[in-house]
Amino acid sequence: MELSVVISYFPRLLDGAWVTLQLVILSIVLGAIFALPIALARISSSPFVRVFPFLYIFFFRGTPLLVQIFLVYYGASQFEVVKESVFWPILREPFWCAIIAFTLNTSAYTAEIFRGAIQAIPVGEVEACKVVGMTRFQMYRRVLLPRAFGIVLPAYGNEIILMLKGSALASTITLLDLTGMARTIIARTYTPIEIFMAAGVIYLVISMVVIAIFKQVEKRQNRYLGPIVIKVPEKG
Amino acid sequence: MSKVPALELNDIHKTFGDVEVLKGISLKAYDGDVISILGSSGSGKSTFLRCINMLENPTKGEIIFNGEPLSLKPGETDLVAANMKQLTQMRQQIGFVFQSFNLWPHMTILENVMEGPANVLKRPKNEVKAYAEHLLNKVGIADKKDMYPSQLSGGQQQRVAIARTLAMDPQVILFDEPTSALDPELVGEVLGVMRNLADEGRTMLIVTHEMNFAREVSSEVVFLHQGLVEEKGTPTQVFENPQSERCKGFLSSTF
Repeated sequence: MELSVVISYFPRLLDGAWVTLQLVILSIVLGAIFALPIALARISSSPFVRVFPFLYIFFFRGTPLLVQIFLVYYGASQFEVVKESVFWPILREPFWCAIIAFTLNTSAYTAEIFRGAIQAIPVGEVEACKVVGMTRFQMYRRVLLPRAFGIVLPAYGNEIILMLKGSALASTITLLDLTGMARTIIARTYTPIEIFMAAGVIYLVISMVVIAIFKQVEKRQNRYLGPIVIKVPEKG
Repeated sequence: MSKVPALELNDIHKTFGDVEVLKGISLKAYDGDVISILGSSGSGKSTFLRCINMLENPTKGEIIFNGEPLSLKPGETDLVAANMKQLTQMRQQIGFVFQSFNLWPHMTILENVMEGPANVLKRPKNEVKAYAEHLLNKVGIADKKDMYPSQLSGGQQQRVAIARTLAMDPQVILFDEPTSALDPELVGEVLGVMRNLADEGRTMLIVTHEMNFAREVSSEVVFLHQGLVEEKGTPTQVFENPQSERCKGFLSSTF
C-alpha cells in the first residue's frame, strides 16, 4: 500500500467528486421536476393519458442506465438534423449527455415513487376534501401533495443514493467524475487498490450526508405521525 | 303551505357489479328536520347517505338541493356529475361526518377546521380563525387546537371533524355512523355534541346504530331493509308501533 499516492492525488479525486455532485444534483432536481407531471399523468383516469407515462417508465426502468447513456451520447450524433440544430452545442458535450440520460432515467423512477405515494394516501382523506367542495387543484395543493411528500421521503432518499452510484457510469463517456478521475489516476500510477479505496470512501461520505439530510427532513415532515407523548401526572 | 325541501332524493338506485344495493329510495328533508336512518348492516344506509353528495355515484335517481336538481349524466356504469362546479358548490353546503373521522393528519386541529372556509370559501383568515376557535370551544376541545389529529382520542377526533363540518356553515349535515368507530365510553361525548346541534335546529341526516339517541333526537326515523324503505315515521310510530315484521325484528334484537 502506498498511501502517499492517495495523499498527493487527493485534490484531483475531490475535483472528480465535484463533477459527480454536479451530475447528481442537477439530474435529481430536473428529474423531480419532470417526475411530478409524469406521475400525475400516470394516475389519470383516462387510459389515453395513462399510456404515455406507462411506456416512458417501462422503457427507462427496463433498460440499463449504461445503454441509455450510450444512446444519448453516441446516438444523437448519428442524425444530421441533430448536428445542425441549436441543441448540438449541448449534445456535443459528454457532461450534458450524461445529465440528459440521468434526468430521463431518474424521472422515470421518481415518477413511480410519487405515484405510489399519492396512491398510498388513505381514501378517506381524499373524501374529506371532496365533501368540503374542494376542486381537484385545491385537493392536490392542500392535501395530496403535502401528504405524498411525507410518504415519499424514504423511497426518494434511496433513489438519490442509487443515482449517486449510477453516476459512476458517466466515466464511460470520457467524463472525469469521481470514478473517471480515479481510473485516470490509476492509469498513471498503477495503484488501483489505494485510489479506488479512496474513491469508495468519498462516495460513502457523500451517501452519509444524503442519508443524514433525509433523516432530518423526514423527522420534520412527518412530525405529525410521531409517537403520542403520554404525560403521566405525578402523584402529589 | 308549500315549502321547498332543503334536500330531496328521488328513487335512488345503486348497483355494485351484479348486486343492487339500493332499489329506489326517496326522502325529503325540510329545514330543521333530524332524520335518522336505521337498518341492519348491508341494508344500504351508508351507501344511500354517500350517494347524496356523490361520494358514491347512483345508478339512477335524482338529487335535488334547495329545489335545484343536481345535473347528472351517464358515466361508464353509473351516473356522474355533469357539472363539477355545481357539485362542488352543493358539497360546500352539505356537511359530511365520516365514521372514521378522516381528519387531515398533516394539519393541526385548528388548521383542519380552518381549511374549508379559508381555502375553499376564501373567507378572510382572521375571521375564520376566530370562528374555528369558537367552534372548537363549542365541541369542547379548544385546548387541543395546536395538536395533530394523531395525538387525539377517537372521540376527540370526531368532535374536531364535526367542528370542521360546522365551519363551512352547511345547510344540511350528513352523519355516516359517527360513533361506530369509537370505544363505548367515548360515544357519549360525540352524541352530546350532536344533540346540541339538533337542539339548535340544524338539518341533519344521521345513519346510526344508537337507537336511544335516534329515538330522542329525531323528527323522523327511516328504517331501510335490503335497499328499500321498509318503515318510516315519527320516532314514536317507528319505535312503539312498527308496522313491518322486519322492523319489529330489528328493533327487538337491538334493544
